[in-house]
Amino acid sequence: MHIFHIHYRNTQGTLMRIINAASRRALDLPYVKAEANANGHQATLLLEVTPKQIGQLRRDWYAIVDVTEVQVSIAEFETGLGVPHPPISAGDESVRSATA
Amino acid sequence: MLRGAEITLQCMRAEGVDLVFGYPGGAIMPLYDALDGSGIKHILTRHEQGAVFAAEGVARATGKVGVAMATSGPGATNLVTGIADAKMDSVPLVCITGQVRSALIGTDAFQETDVFGLTLSLTKWSRLVKTIEEIPSVIAEGFHWARSGRPGPVVIDIPTDILKAKIEFSGPVKFVPQANPSNGHGQPLFANELVSLLEKAKKPVALVGAGAKLSGAIADLRRLLDHLQIPTFATVHGLGAVPPSASYYLGMVGMHGTMASNMALDETDLLLVFGARLDDRVTGDPSRFSPNAKIVHFEIDPAQLDRVRQCELPIVGDLAETIPATHAVLRGISLPDWSEWRGVACGEERLGLEPRGLAVPTIRFLDELFSRLPENHVVIADVGQHQMWAAQRYRSCLPRGFITSGGLGSMGFALPAAIGVQMSKPDATVLCVSGDGGFQMNIQELATVHRLGLPIKMVIIDNKFLGMVRQWQQLFYQRNYAETDLSDNPDFVAISKAYKIHGQRISEDAMREFPISPETSDELERFLHSPQSELLVFDTAPEANVFPMVPAGASLSEMLLEED
Repeated sequence: MHIFHIHYRNTQGTLMRIINAASRRALDLPYVKAEANANGHQATLLLEVTPKQIGQLRRDWYAIVDVTEVQVSIAEFETGLGVPHPPISAGDESVRSATA
Repeated sequence: MLRGAEITLQCMRAEGVDLVFGYPGGAIMPLYDALDGSGIKHILTRHEQGAVFAAEGVARATGKVGVAMATSGPGATNLVTGIADAKMDSVPLVCITGQVRSALIGTDAFQETDVFGLTLSLTKWSRLVKTIEEIPSVIAEGFHWARSGRPGPVVIDIPTDILKAKIEFSGPVKFVPQANPSNGHGQPLFANELVSLLEKAKKPVALVGAGAKLSGAIADLRRLLDHLQIPTFATVHGLGAVPPSASYYLGMVGMHGTMASNMALDETDLLLVFGARLDDRVTGDPSRFSPNAKIVHFEIDPAQLDRVRQCELPIVGDLAETIPATHAVLRGISLPDWSEWRGVACGEERLGLEPRGLAVPTIRFLDELFSRLPENHVVIADVGQHQMWAAQRYRSCLPRGFITSGGLGSMGFALPAAIGVQMSKPDATVLCVSGDGGFQMNIQELATVHRLGLPIKMVIIDNKFLGMVRQWQQLFYQRNYAETDLSDNPDFVAISKAYKIHGQRISEDAMREFPISPETSDELERFLHSPQSELLVFDTAPEANVFPMVPAGASLSEMLLEED
């Protein structure tokens, strides 16, 4: 299981778009929490995903107009995924490898 | 005091809208009521799908935002295919839908659908308008997102009571987006790595997609490619970005791409991608795609990077900025001599493959048509075998000269899209190429063509089958032609006559002579240069197939060149 924290501006439909990125991949959603925080809103999702799906989800979430930041807090610690977004134009290959 | 409908139209006008396509109905009637005098011309199509595809035609031909309007419920749901189409092909599109009265939302009122919810996964941005006061900001933001970055579709759903309400209106507003932390480019970082990759490359190639056109970077791209002189090919949406006369250009790549393109893509050790998302129709089996290649991906939308295959060097940003920056770097260095590789990849053995088999008359027919097109033209292809034949044979350096539904592959796209193209480019020769299946999916738009007096030249490649599906059934389903037989097609010429459009047939026998007879040549000339709309039905063999073909799930090196 991986925990994703998605920070977003709480505009119409943004939370649904965030969840849809997971549901369109038929991922189970055992835990979803959305709440206001100091800088806007944050959705927390618990998902069983492959390393490849982590990269896909991050990119899909960042493509949502009102998403401002995505963190894979525990997963990043476990897998070493420290991928900046967008990918820097020349970076450490190892940190990008699991995002393909 | 202005009504919400008038405010909506004034705000649309402020965004540069002067042409919309649509179909009226209950919930959107206030907007239609306000159209007169708004400065916006409305084109009545005969189906909402026709409206949204026509709006796409405008957008694809001009780069402007296309606009479609529909009422709530079925009107809105009929837009959905076009919205998905625009999402897949990065088309700037705004759909304005009427909604039931605010008080009725959620009650399953007559003609109520949750169009906002329905289209969430298909749109780049959408809004259900809640108050009349927010109309100006919603319109401004919607158009901003439709045209900015990677363009895409936007839905604005407006309840009918808000369209009817009145307020003091102080004028349209401008939308200023909040900065996201995802706009960094890292430009200084990529130069050294790119140079290093190029210096090590023995077999570099370039792949050009729609993004190169959308960014307006064509001139810069051509200069860069002329400098690099590496084998180059294009996706179906990249056609026209590179002059076919360029000595390093290999044509279209992918499932029905040229042998030369697919072989070069399979053999390359360095792939430069310019604005393409590397979908499965380009890559074949992703696990065996360009097995030896490192990938440098020029892309405005970070969501497209690494989607199919990890790229070694992502260059994120508007290609209109990153391509000149790259060229500036490369001008200052000495590039390796790739002439030997270029000689192999662009050699006659690979490029000189002539069409064979039952498709030859159809291909010759398209060649004869395309060779007669004036410089100011647009070809719109529907979806299926004819689309791929047309893409294979299209030779032009017009960046927006070839339009088709590529990502979604929506049959029925071409005829309404051609209406939009012709409306936005009245002086252009607009050639609409359809199959007999797809043409019947929006055949009702012949009425729109007639009403507007549009001189669209419509071709139906009539093989009396759903040809592409039939081809797959032949090759991969043991010739089990399940539900693809259209041998009882209607008489298309008679139908066109009923719509008061001149139609005629031409047999493929006319294309067996080479050169074609003077009579046939005259017929084609008359067809293309007629001042009115024309339909030409080309009867062709049901068993004609499109080759080369990379079977689904195969690698590019496993392309079929002919049936046996």
